[in-house]
Amino acid sequence: MRHLRAALARIAGVFTGHRAEDDLREELQAHLDMETAEYIRRGMAPDGARRKALLASGGLTTAAESVRAQRGLPWLEGVAADARYALRALRHNPAFTAVVVITLALGIGANTAIFSVVRGVLLKPLPHRDGDALVYLRHSMDGPGGANMRFSVPEVVEFRRDAKTLAGIAEYSTFNFTLRDGGDAVNIDAALVTGNFFEVLGLSPVLGRLTQPGDDGTSAAPVMVLTHAYWSTHFDADPHIVGRQVRLDGKLVTIIGVVEPAPWFPSRVDALLNMVVSEHHTSALMVQGRTHRMSDVLARLTRGASVEDARTELTGIHARMQRAFRDAYDAGSHYRVAVIPYKEVLGERARLTLWLLMGTAAFVMIISAANVVNLTLMRGVRREHELVVRAALGAGSVRLRRLLLVENLVLTGMGAALGVGIALGGVRLLVAFAERYSPRANEIRLDVAVLGFTFALAVTIALLLSFVAYLPREGALASMISAGGRRMSGGVRMQRLQRALVVAQIAVSFVLLAGAGLLTRTTMQLSGVRTGLRTEEVLTMQVALLTTAQLDVSSVTAVQAMAADADAKLRYARMRREIRALPGVIEVGIGSSVPLRSSLVQFDLKVEGRNTVPGETMPRADFRTASAEYFRAAGIPLQRGREFLVTDRVGSGRVVIVNEALAKQIFPGEDPIGKRVAWTGDILRFTPLSGDWRTVVGVVGNTRDGGLDTKPQPVMFLPFAQELAMGGGFVIRAERDAASLAAAATRIVRRIAPAAPVENVMTVAQIKDQSLSARRLNAALVSSFGGLAAIIAAVGIAGVLAFSVSARTNDIGIRMSLGAGSGMVQRMILKEGGVLLGAGLVIGVAGAIVVGRLMRGLLFGVAPHDPATLAGVAVMLGAIGFAACWFPARRAARIDPSIAMRS
Amino acid sequence: MPEKLDVKQGTLALMILRTLDVLGPLHGYGVARRIEETSGNRLTLNYGTLYPALLKLEQEGCISAEWRQSENNRRAKYYTLTPAGRKQLAREAREWHRTADLIAAFLAPPPETA
Repeated sequence: MRHLRAALARIAGVFTGHRAEDDLREELQAHLDMETAEYIRRGMAPDGARRKALLASGGLTTAAESVRAQRGLPWLEGVAADARYALRALRHNPAFTAVVVITLALGIGANTAIFSVVRGVLLKPLPHRDGDALVYLRHSMDGPGGANMRFSVPEVVEFRRDAKTLAGIAEYSTFNFTLRDGGDAVNIDAALVTGNFFEVLGLSPVLGRLTQPGDDGTSAAPVMVLTHAYWSTHFDADPHIVGRQVRLDGKLVTIIGVVEPAPWFPSRVDALLNMVVSEHHTSALMVQGRTHRMSDVLARLTRGASVEDARTELTGIHARMQRAFRDAYDAGSHYRVAVIPYKEVLGERARLTLWLLMGTAAFVMIISAANVVNLTLMRGVRREHELVVRAALGAGSVRLRRLLLVENLVLTGMGAALGVGIALGGVRLLVAFAERYSPRANEIRLDVAVLGFTFALAVTIALLLSFVAYLPREGALASMISAGGRRMSGGVRMQRLQRALVVAQIAVSFVLLAGAGLLTRTTMQLSGVRTGLRTEEVLTMQVALLTTAQLDVSSVTAVQAMAADADAKLRYARMRREIRALPGVIEVGIGSSVPLRSSLVQFDLKVEGRNTVPGETMPRADFRTASAEYFRAAGIPLQRGREFLVTDRVGSGRVVIVNEALAKQIFPGEDPIGKRVAWTGDILRFTPLSGDWRTVVGVVGNTRDGGLDTKPQPVMFLPFAQELAMGGGFVIRAERDAASLAAAATRIVRRIAPAAPVENVMTVAQIKDQSLSARRLNAALVSSFGGLAAIIAAVGIAGVLAFSVSARTNDIGIRMSLGAGSGMVQRMILKEGGVLLGAGLVIGVAGAIVVGRLMRGLLFGVAPHDPATLAGVAVMLGAIGFAACWFPARRAARIDPSIAMRS
Repeated sequence: MPEKLDVKQGTLALMILRTLDVLGPLHGYGVARRIEETSGNRLTLNYGTLYPALLKLEQEGCISAEWRQSENNRRAKYYTLTPAGRKQLAREAREWHRTADLIAAFLAPPPETA
């Protein structure tokens, strides 16, 4: 308490010094006068008395100085003086200051920006109450569509009953609805959730209430909770929204509240509804079907239980289920359950990319710091004289270090300030980038933690800079003073350090450029991947006329469903006819989904006359429908047999067309035409599909539906006319410039089906581009960092050589006057640089191979040690490095020996 | 003339507090004179020792200062012991006695062994 009070008084003393100064002078004077008076009283002459008093005082100025030291914080005042001095010195050296500040700003800015993304997306605690206890349960198996197949209600019920490690289990499934709120119909992405969903997630309402257990069951009223984002953008953050009724797929639903902002998985949702909104979700099919897997599951760990505990327990329960219901878990497909922290699942897709970028930024920081260290070292040599003089005048080495530290803090502080400015601009771009990878992109912010990181970075660099600098040792003073200002080489130790730094810079630039090269090659490889379509002049669009509710066998009669289907088919036929009549249109096809987009519907298959061996993985295929013109319109080549014909309709023989991948899988080495296949599996009960035998009439080429970087999936096409008119994917082939048809085609669709949402109006070229753009951006980011690094490294090597040349002017002069030709001098300097360059390249190759392995997950079609990339980078960096060496070497060669030796 | 001693760090604060405790409000000169007299002129205090110590005590809240007229009509800065200073004095005096006893015990001639 006493010390705290004293400390505060001293801090106050820093600012009140001038007032206290008069006070002090008067007090000391009074003391002196009283003492003099005392001596006079004792009988001394006034002059003598005064002299004696002064003598006893120990010197007024010295006394005042000691009091001043006690009054304020002399250390702080000294620092302020140092800072003023540093600013003045830096102003006199604008080139040095500008280079250092800009170099640091680039490094610090890049790191701050990327760190803000890493923090927002990966590190920051979830907004959910006790978010670390949230886990996502993942059900997976081998084979297509098996990576995340979700859970069925009976499975969740068993977990809920038996799992002791989970305190609460919430189910949700994403669902599309057409929302009508007065005006236009819009498509919304919703999640159907159990009543306990928000309780388990630990989220609170910002308005109204959230769903509760009372909202479960078939007798509850349909209610809707809006996400914060959707409420803000679509309802203009209307504070009176609670209680409003809207129509979802025709059903009246009440908005009961708005939930606080939170990230959603697996995809963004606009609203969350109770299950009763979808009759399907409360039907016996859904509730009792063990293979009817539609639910994502989030759970909260019991206090004290670890993720590992839950994993062990759930695996046990799941194994028991598999034994009890052998039909529902095909043994060959290896069904399994994973328990993953929710935070991790949310960052899943972003993790590798973000750490790659963070690593890249860190490398850029290393290079720029190395450059600044080099610059400071060189400046330090020129300043040696100044430091020696300061030391000679009594500045201790602590005092000199402090001066350097303050100077460097001023430098890095300016760099950091400019860097934060750069980061502010960069973050906006990066948020758009991160949105492709993470549902948490909107949490990216330059907040206190990020600025703290920046601050720590700046201070660390300042400390580093201050402690590599060479200080005159007290003992060595005399020799240095006698050497005067002429020693400019900075000593062997410093030169070694400089060279090591240059080697490191080149090695790190090499690694960055190699990484950039690998990513660029990846995008090149990907854009070279054949989509499977013969032409890109194809416009696609998705127009869903039938809603899931209209087809749900659990809620509507077969007759109603048939009527809705017939109406939809009529309207599709009209749309097709009218679009076909547009000028420039060659062909229009229609199917359940468009090529190059995943259908998300896969089923097990069986082949007539063949039994699967127990333990063998069931063949699975994508379910798609296609009209007679579909393949021609999309440019998917027919390899065998025939396309669908207009005669393949309801009542005629059931036929299918398989793609090449499926044909190879189920008919290896055989002719598939005429063979019979059927969909199979328990799950068919829940779909409008039949398990009838169907005859293969054709084989078409593969298309890259799951993205250019995935293998073609096995697909089975059914005639559009023979199945329910689901999906509504139009494929419009144009003579040229398919994109220009978009407006006209959309107008036709809107006129015929005003209530239907029209989605994904894109040409094939645009779809392809979209699937590449994230990677392109990624490659571009790393490439620009790599380029930046190479430039900084080139400046570094040139600077160090130039410095070495200028320090050795005298030596070179002597050599030349003894007969060394200018070519020889030039070669000597080039060799000096070449050694550094070579060492850097060798270390760089090793580093690039290691880093390539780490980023393997981001590569496609190139090996992590791709020799062409490594060679290319080596040549490029070698050329840049050589150019950087060449200038100082030429300057050395032009040294005039007579001038050099005289200076 | 007896050998002059330098004031040990820390003991000066105790002396100042005690002086103000005994004599009441006093200016710097008075404090210095009193301490020198009490020490039998074995201690000398120059300004550079005394005034920083006074300022430190003031910063710590043990004493307070105000300008007053002195007995012979001169303006001087008078220091007064605060209640916190009184407590601090008691505490430090106790500490000092304990330390002195301890050191004395150590320096006492060892007991004769038979």
